Amino acid sequence: MTAILVLILRFALAIALYTFLGWVLSILWQEVKQQGELLASQKKPVIKVLAKLESGKEVQQRYSQTEVTIGRDPNCDFPILDEAISAHHARVSFHHSQWWLEDLNSTNGTFIGKSKVSVPVVLIASDEFKCGNTLFTVDMDALSEKLDL
Amino acid sequence: MNRIIQSRLLLISGVFLLLQTIILTLSPAVHARSWVVDFRFSPWIAMGVWALVVARADYDISRKLPDADPYLFPAAALISGWGILTIWRLDPIFGARQAVWLGVSVGLLALGTRLRSLDFLRRYKYSLLLCGLLLLAITLVFGTNPSGSGPRLWLGYDELYLQPSEPLKLLLAVFLAAYLADKLPARLRTIHLLYPTIILSGIVILLLVVQRDLGTAAIFTALFTFITYLATGRKRVLLIALILLSLVGVAGYYFVDIVHARMNAWLNPWDDPSGRSYQIIQAVMAIANGGILGTGPGLGSPGLIPVAISDMIYAAIAEESGLLGTLGLLAIISLILSRGLRAALRAPDLYRRILAAGITAYFGIQTILIVGGNIRLLPLTGVTLPFVSYGGSSLLTSFIALLVLIHISNHLDIDPAPLLKPQPYLASGSFLLLGLLACALATGWWSVVRGPDLLTRPDNRRRLIEESYVPRGSLLDTSSTAINVTSGAIGTYSREYKYVDLAPITGYTDSTYGQAGLEASLDEYLRGLKGNPTSMIFWHHLLYGMDPTGLDVRLSIDLYLQSRADEMMISQRGAVVLLNARSGEILVMASHPTFNPNHLTESGARLLTDPDKPLINRATLGQYPTGTVMEPFLDALAVDASANLNEVYESFGFNTPPQIQLPVAPIPTEANPTIQRVSPLQMALAAATLSNHGILPPPRIAMAVRTPVEGWVPLSALGSPMEAIQATAADETALAYLTNDQSYWKHIGQAQENESLVTWFIGGTPPNRQAAPLALVIVLEATNPALADRIGRELLIDAMNP
Repeated sequence: MTAILVLILRFALAIALYTFLGWVLSILWQEVKQQGELLASQKKPVIKVLAKLESGKEVQQRYSQTEVTIGRDPNCDFPILDEAISAHHARVSFHHSQWWLEDLNSTNGTFIGKSKVSVPVVLIASDEFKCGNTLFTVDMDALSEKLDL
Repeated sequence: MNRIIQSRLLLISGVFLLLQTIILTLSPAVHARSWVVDFRFSPWIAMGVWALVVARADYDISRKLPDADPYLFPAAALISGWGILTIWRLDPIFGARQAVWLGVSVGLLALGTRLRSLDFLRRYKYSLLLCGLLLLAITLVFGTNPSGSGPRLWLGYDELYLQPSEPLKLLLAVFLAAYLADKLPARLRTIHLLYPTIILSGIVILLLVVQRDLGTAAIFTALFTFITYLATGRKRVLLIALILLSLVGVAGYYFVDIVHARMNAWLNPWDDPSGRSYQIIQAVMAIANGGILGTGPGLGSPGLIPVAISDMIYAAIAEESGLLGTLGLLAIISLILSRGLRAALRAPDLYRRILAAGITAYFGIQTILIVGGNIRLLPLTGVTLPFVSYGGSSLLTSFIALLVLIHISNHLDIDPAPLLKPQPYLASGSFLLLGLLACALATGWWSVVRGPDLLTRPDNRRRLIEESYVPRGSLLDTSSTAINVTSGAIGTYSREYKYVDLAPITGYTDSTYGQAGLEASLDEYLRGLKGNPTSMIFWHHLLYGMDPTGLDVRLSIDLYLQSRADEMMISQRGAVVLLNARSGEILVMASHPTFNPNHLTESGARLLTDPDKPLINRATLGQYPTGTVMEPFLDALAVDASANLNEVYESFGFNTPPQIQLPVAPIPTEANPTIQRVSPLQMALAAATLSNHGILPPPRIAMAVRTPVEGWVPLSALGSPMEAIQATAADETALAYLTNDQSYWKHIGQAQENESLVTWFIGGTPPNRQAAPLALVIVLEATNPALADRIGRELLIDAMNP
């Protein structure tokens, strides 16, 4: 009789041990799921880039991706035909809830106003920067919605 | 949310430990199979201490460090509770001491939550390391060992002992983290690593040479390697450390005895199972005994493993909780490691990142080293299993290290420091988790694959413990009179030998001298492993971790005739075999001198070296030269003494060992031995052919087993009858050797070899006898034909007229 009672208790003991582990796993899994849903529910960042070429011609592009490369190479997200622009000149990318501009080691450099971009800098709406002889202006949607999450 | 998770996990841990305490309390009742026992209430003290301090620490962590990782503390609390209950179950005195240490350690953790930051550790890195080194240095001079002998690794004052190498592991991690965090941002050059390396080498050499502690030396080396690799990301470090570690190992192997012994015990454990490898073999046997489900807390015999409370606690847990339990234990340790690494990666600065990773590595390395040692994956070293093993210094250090981890994990609001190379962290994490996985697989190997095989080893003392709890079957004579029985109450069952003179034949079962004779050969029936339904055996193993009640075995021995033979053989050296010449049932088997198995404990050692060899069953193992006793057999085959005797031997089965549930003498392998030797049993079977119309019967001694379902079930003979000579030749020979009163045939022969003389008597019933034919053989290790004739006559007359 005692042995059967103890056997039941022994099974309960194993169940308690694995409940501990199972519960930990389920919470961790839920965290992963939540993280995924959080990222999925975030509004896609959208950026508009307006390029004013030396010739006075204006080209505007709208991107819903988190990385935009600028350069003479046709494979760039924003290819520009400008002799003074390097093949892969600069990158505009979205992370840490902000848009960043970074120079990709270009020959002639990237400038905001008069200052040369040497480390990634944050871009805000209607900021202007210059690559070669082309002047770029960025404009982005407000991202306030996702900050509530 | 974090706080709710932590409290809930602690609640589940509490339920787990509560159930374990209840089972421990009830376990004496399971052993005794009765409610009227002394229940084991003392583990409730440990449970109470655990609940009290853990609840307090939970409250303090929730208030002071609300963002801390919610898994670290519950995981550590669960396994430390598991540890203390296991220690208590093994030894309540050590359990009580560990309860005090648990109170102090968790209490300190609760107090430590009040600290605002850990910067003081960084600021005083040199002083702290120096203190640790100083303590170690003092130990080298004034060190003691609480048990009185063995390596002197402790600093003792009164009843309080401290092992300085334990806190030194944490202090080394703190120092390295602080030092490297200071040096790294300004480009680190190899020269910077020189100085901590010298310190480390010093520690390692001191530990190894003076304290002879390979395990701790290995941990320091591995810890140093991990931390420098994580901080610098240079693979070179690993290579150098590997060389260093093998150098340490090789040096230890050649210069330090205990290391040498442990290495040998690891590499060749089966060579010396009762000496140097005793501990590891007992450990794997305990794991094997646990199997998948374990015997249940309080129901196994982990106390058989030496140092079960500290070094071998993993094996002790494996025995009582089974593979299921150890996999859970390893999973919880993996949880601590992965959360520790996560805290490291999320740490707000380099110092805290390296420190958290270092502490995680310390937990991981030490766990793998000792668990691996318990399951023969690595050489056995005397380090503790963090949070689980007995040892105040170890428990205290583990909980302080955990406190540091919890502090570091409490920074969700600050962004993690940038990480240049994630590779070292991922590689280290994978390494530690793979190590634990290897431990899990090896545990499975011992408990499932090798388990059944290991448990049958004669040095598995669990079998003998079982025998005091489970009654062993009796050996009965042909009319069911008891020969060997088990008497006493549950827990104190012991074997009683009612008919002492049969001892060389029926043997004994003893905790020191093992088993012999029929007790050994019929062991599976007597222990209930054969003859009982498989489901019943499984159920008994599951419920009690023991074999079912043993089954009685009836022998063919006739105690009346046996006692007649023994009376006449008193103070002689020799053997008697009387058997039914047709069925082969052995009615009498005597071997003299004999011994008293009831007094084996006192006389066993003397018996083993007695020149008269009373432990040997002369009837089956004795080999005597034949000499003139062969005459009737030569007559039966119509050859004379100059003929090729080997053919005669072949005909009468002397060249094949008889098949019987007793150890028999092997047949000499020489091609043409000048002096043929036979055992009395072989001679008796040959004599039976003369009384049984030339048929050689198969010998039988175990006749039937009493099963619970079908009652007495006969056991068939192991061999089969064989026609040795023609029936007419056999009958004629028997008639030719009839005695004057024509009641039986007999022949007395003598043989000599070197100095020893042997007198043989063979005889049997005449071929025309209506009742069962009988055959008798007497061997006397002396020249005494008159005595042999008298014994033969009286025994045969008695046997023929029941």
